Amino acid sequence: MNYKTASWETRARASSSIDRGVACVILLLGFSLAMVGQNPSGPKSPASVIKATHILGFEGASNNASGTLSVEGNALQFQKSGGPTAQVSVTSIQDVLTGVEDRQVGGTPLALGKAAVPFGGGRVVGLFSHKKYDTLTLEYLDANGGFHGAIFLLAKGQGEALKSQLIAGGAHVSHSEDQPAAQTNPEVKK
Amino acid sequence: MKTNRMTFTGLSSALMLMMLLTCSNRLPAQTAAAKAGNSSGGAKWNVQLDKVDPGDVNLEPAFRIAIYENLLDELAKTKRFKQVFRSGDHNASELPNLLILKTAVLKYTPGSETRRAVTTVSGATKLNVRSQLCRPDGTVVVENVVEGDVLFFGGNLRATHNLARNIASKIKASTLPEATAPDK
Repeated sequence: MNYKTASWETRARASSSIDRGVACVILLLGFSLAMVGQNPSGPKSPASVIKATHILGFEGASNNASGTLSVEGNALQFQKSGGPTAQVSVTSIQDVLTGVEDRQVGGTPLALGKAAVPFGGGRVVGLFSHKKYDTLTLEYLDANGGFHGAIFLLAKGQGEALKSQLIAGGAHVSHSEDQPAAQTNPEVKK
Repeated sequence: MKTNRMTFTGLSSALMLMMLLTCSNRLPAQTAAAKAGNSSGGAKWNVQLDKVDPGDVNLEPAFRIAIYENLLDELAKTKRFKQVFRSGDHNASELPNLLILKTAVLKYTPGSETRRAVTTVSGATKLNVRSQLCRPDGTVVVENVVEGDVLFFGGNLRATHNLARNIASKIKASTLPEATAPDK
């Protein structure tokens, strides 16, 4: 009988110490989450540097190069991964236009794989192997007044964010050309 | 008799050798003359590319820019012009032998890469433009209507690359008037 009472007391003590431990852990987690939320550098850093693919036109950058786009001071910079940085002055930008592009992913390896699937099964793969991207089209002038155009491919939803950053930095925007043509338009004739 | 035969063989082989040498000398000379005729007597034109005019066609801005930038590359590759200038470049205005390339979009069929991948026969992106090579006073020197399509493989913007290559090859094949003033 005494043995039974002793074991019950031991169990009760153990469970109360576990409860305290769990409460402490929850409290600590709560504090740490609150600290992360208050950290000013946390959410800002991914917004200022955006992963992008340079399609063509940006002076000093090679075509179809992957890298990062950022607005540093008065310059829009494109840094190729592990390569040199190309930049233009934000004030020299005459227009910033955004659009949406639907592209097949996987490149040549997936294209070859799709071709190798028998009975036209590769077409079914093609149905799912596409992704939507934002396109950012820039028009800017060089030191001689020459007109340049550059096209970048960004993750969906980042085009507008970068556009507003550029406008805030002093880039010009023509509102008449702000409506890009939809991809699903029927044939258009002049 | 033997000596006669040997002399004849020697003479004929010498004659054949001479004929071969003459022919081989003449062929490169002919090619050089043809090349000189194509480049209008040595003096070359400069070309300035105008912005692409979308006209009434609802062309995506990326396509307009891609046509312009691809055309700059392709025109430089033809080696038909001394220099290729961008629209608005101040350096071009002072040059005597300047032609201006104007491009106007006539027709645009937006395509879809996914539709091409799934169906093969539909989803083609098609572009049709009028390109005019003009003097600074507006006189048209060369005019072409050119197409650029993506029918099967590749992204939609590939149509602009094909279009620019077609425009450049048409210009390369056309006969330009002789450049009057000597180049600087």
